[in-house]
Amino acid sequence: MKKTLVLFAHPYFEHSTTNVRLLECYDDLDNVTFRDLYEDYPDFHIQPFRERKRIVEYERIIFHFPIIWFGLPPLLKLWIDEVFDMRWVSENGINILSGKDALIITSVGGREANYTKEGKYETEVEELLSGLKVSLKVNNIDLKKIHIIYNADNLNHEQLDVLSDELSQTLKIK
Amino acid sequence: MQGSIAMTILIFLGAAIIMVPLGKKLGLSSVIGYILGGILIGPFCLQLTGRDAEDIMHASELGVIMLLFLVGLELEPQKLWQIRKRILGLGLSQMLLSIVGIFMVFYIAGFGLKTSFIISLCFAMSSTAIVLQTLKEKNLFRTVSGESSFSILLFQDIAVIPILALLPFLSKSKRALEQADHEKILLQYLPEWLQPFTVIFAVLALILLGRYIFTPFLRFVSRSGLNELLTAASLFLVIGVSELMISVDLSPALGAFIAGVMLANSEFRHELESAIDPFKGLLLAVFFVSVGATINFDIIVSKPFFIFSAAFIVLAVKAVVLFGIGKYYKMNNEQSFFLAFALSQVGEFAFVLVNFAASLYLIDYQANSELMAIVAITMCISPLLLIFKEKVLDKRFIKQKNEENIELGIIKQRKVIIVGFGFFGSTVGRLLKANGIRSTVLDNDPDRVALLRSNGFNVYYGDATKPALLRSAGIEEAELLVLCLDDPEKNKFLVDYVKENYPDVKIFVRAKNRLDAYDFLNKNVNHIYRETLGTAVDMAVDILQENGMRKYTARRMGKRFMLIDKAMTKRLAKEKDKDMITFTLRESLEREAELLALDSISFEENHWSGDEDDDDK
Repeated sequence: MKKTLVLFAHPYFEHSTTNVRLLECYDDLDNVTFRDLYEDYPDFHIQPFRERKRIVEYERIIFHFPIIWFGLPPLLKLWIDEVFDMRWVSENGINILSGKDALIITSVGGREANYTKEGKYETEVEELLSGLKVSLKVNNIDLKKIHIIYNADNLNHEQLDVLSDELSQTLKIK
Repeated sequence: MQGSIAMTILIFLGAAIIMVPLGKKLGLSSVIGYILGGILIGPFCLQLTGRDAEDIMHASELGVIMLLFLVGLELEPQKLWQIRKRILGLGLSQMLLSIVGIFMVFYIAGFGLKTSFIISLCFAMSSTAIVLQTLKEKNLFRTVSGESSFSILLFQDIAVIPILALLPFLSKSKRALEQADHEKILLQYLPEWLQPFTVIFAVLALILLGRYIFTPFLRFVSRSGLNELLTAASLFLVIGVSELMISVDLSPALGAFIAGVMLANSEFRHELESAIDPFKGLLLAVFFVSVGATINFDIIVSKPFFIFSAAFIVLAVKAVVLFGIGKYYKMNNEQSFFLAFALSQVGEFAFVLVNFAASLYLIDYQANSELMAIVAITMCISPLLLIFKEKVLDKRFIKQKNEENIELGIIKQRKVIIVGFGFFGSTVGRLLKANGIRSTVLDNDPDRVALLRSNGFNVYYGDATKPALLRSAGIEEAELLVLCLDDPEKNKFLVDYVKENYPDVKIFVRAKNRLDAYDFLNKNVNHIYRETLGTAVDMAVDILQENGMRKYTARRMGKRFMLIDKAMTKRLAKEKDKDMITFTLRESLEREAELLALDSISFEENHWSGDEDDDDK
C-alpha cells in the first residue's frame, strides 16, 4: 500500500449512517493516516505551514466527504484554499504535490437517476466536483478514481455491506 | 481470654487486617476475608474472643445501619418511587416463593409445622451487608442485576417489620407477649387503637423530619465552618434516627435508609457520605468478623451431614427461586445467575430473627445453634459462588455493553466532577448542562450552594480539598475532573493529589495567569485554561477591528496569537523550571520580555508552527 493520507471532512458526522460504516474500510489498511478535518480544526483555523510539512510525506491523498448542497464541505474547501499554493504552479516553482495520486470518495443523498442530464438535477456528480478536479490536475496530481455513493441517507445493512466491499476494491487500485 | 473492650476491638481489627489482604490475594471478596478472620479468632481456633462475639455483633449492627443510610443517600425519592413496582414485584415474589420452598424442605425433614414456618421466614432473607458490599466493590449499582438485587433487599428490610410483629403471636407463652411489650417508650403515649399504625407514623415522621429539620440543621452546622462538627452531626443524625426507630420497635436499618433517602436530594449528600463511610466500613468489618467468630463448630462437628446438607439445600432453593424470578423479569442468563448467586445466602437479619424466636420459646436452644451455623455457612459459600460465576460461567456469556447513551446519540456521558462553582465554574457547568452533560458539582460556600440548588443545579456542599469528599463524589469512577477554584494553590493541591491517586482521571484546570500555567505544565497537566488569555485576546481582536482591520483577518490573527502564546508557554515552562519553585516578580517580568522578543520575530507562521499534534491545545 502506498503511503496514504485520508482527508475526511463531514460537518454532520454525528448524523451519518453511511460514512460511519464506510470508514471501517480504512481500519485494517497499513500505511494509512486518517485525518478527520472537522475534529482537527473545529474553529476553522487551519495551519497551512503544518499541513504542507506533513503532506510532502505521502504518495496518495484520498478526499473523502459528503456532497452537501451540490458542493464540497466548506472546511475541505478552506483546507485546499489555505494549503495549496499558487506559487507551486507558476513557471519556475517547485511543486511539492507533483507526481502524487489521488482518490475522491463522496456520498450524495439523492438517487443516481437524479444526477443525470435527464434527471431531477440535470447535473452529474462529477460536474459538481469540477473545482477539485481542476485543482488536482494543475498540481499534476493523478486522479485515479471518483467513487460515488448514491442514496446515502437510507441504505440498509445489506446494501452497506455491498458498498463497503466496493469501496475496499477501490482502495486497492494501484 | 478476658480482656477489656479495647482489647477485644484490637483482636477483631487485627484479624480483619491480616485476613482481608490474604483473601484478596486469593481473589476472594473482603467479606470472606473478614469471616475467615472471625473463624480464626473464634472459640474454635485461637479462642481469643470468649463470649464477646455476640455482644460485639449486636454493637456492630450499627455498621449495617450505616450501610443502609449510605444506600439511601444514593437513592433520590423520585427514583425510589420509580422503582416501587420493581421492589414490590421482585421482592414479594422472592419472599413468598422462598418461604414456600424452605418451608417444604424443613417440614419434610421432620421439623414441626410452626418451626418450619418460622425458619422459612428467617431464611428467606438475604444478607444486605454482603450483597451491598459486593455491589459496591464490583461497581454494579447501576446495572440491571445490581438494581434488581437492591430492590429485593429493600423489600426484605421492610418485611422484617411485620415478621418481628408476627412472631410473638405465634408464641403462646405469656413471657413472650411480655417480651414483645418491652420498652415502648414513645408508643405508650399513643392510644391503643393507633399502635398497629406505628410503621406508617414513623415513616411519615421521618419524611417530615428529613424535609424540614435535617437540611436546615446541617446548614446551620456547616455555617460554623468546622468540618469535625459536620462529621459529628452526621453521626448524630444516623444514630439518632436508628435509636428513634428502636424506641418505637421498628427496624433501625429501615429508619436509617429512609433518612438517607430524605437527604439524597440535599447538598450535604457527599459530605455526609464522606463522614459516615469510614465508620461504616469499620463497623461492617467488625460485624463480618463477629459472624465468623460466632459459628459454633461443636454443632457442626456433631451433626455435619445435617448442617451442611441443610445449608446447601437452602442455598439451592433460594438460588432456583431467584434464577426463575430473573428469567421471569426478562433478564439474560448472566444477570439471572448473578441474582441467584448473590442473594442466595441467608442474611444477618436471620441471626436477629432466630434469636428473637428462641427468646419466645419458638425454637429450642439446640435448633437455635444449628440454624445459626447453617446461616453462617451459607454466608461463607455465596461469595464463593460469585467467584465461580465470574471465573467459569462468565466466559460463556457474551458481554453486553449497555453504555448510558443520552439522546444525542454519539455523545457518551462521561462522569464529570466540577470543583468550585463561582463565576468561572458555573459558566463551565451551565454550558455543559445546556448540552445535556450532567456533572457533579462541589462548592464550599453554603449560601451559594443553597441558592444554586434552589435554581435546580446539582450542587453539593463540601471542601473538595478533603480526599474523602472527592471519593464520595465518585472520583474513582470519574473520567473528567474540572478544577475551577479561585485559589491556585488549592487547584495545585488537588492536581497533585489526583495525579498521584487516580492517574486515569483527565484533569481540566483553571489557571490565573502564565505563572500558574508553568506550574501546571510541570505537573504534566495538558488542559490548562488561563483566565488572562482568552478574554484579553478577544479584546485585542476587537481593537484591531476598530482600527480598520478586516474582521475575519483580525480573528485569525487573534487565534494565531493564542496558538503562539500557548506554544511559547509550554516551551518556556520546560526550559526554565529545572529547579525553580516560584518566580520572583522580576523573573516573571524577564519572561514577559522574552515572550515579547519572541513575538516580534516569530509571527511568521513557519517560524513557530511546531509539528506537534497538540500544539493547538
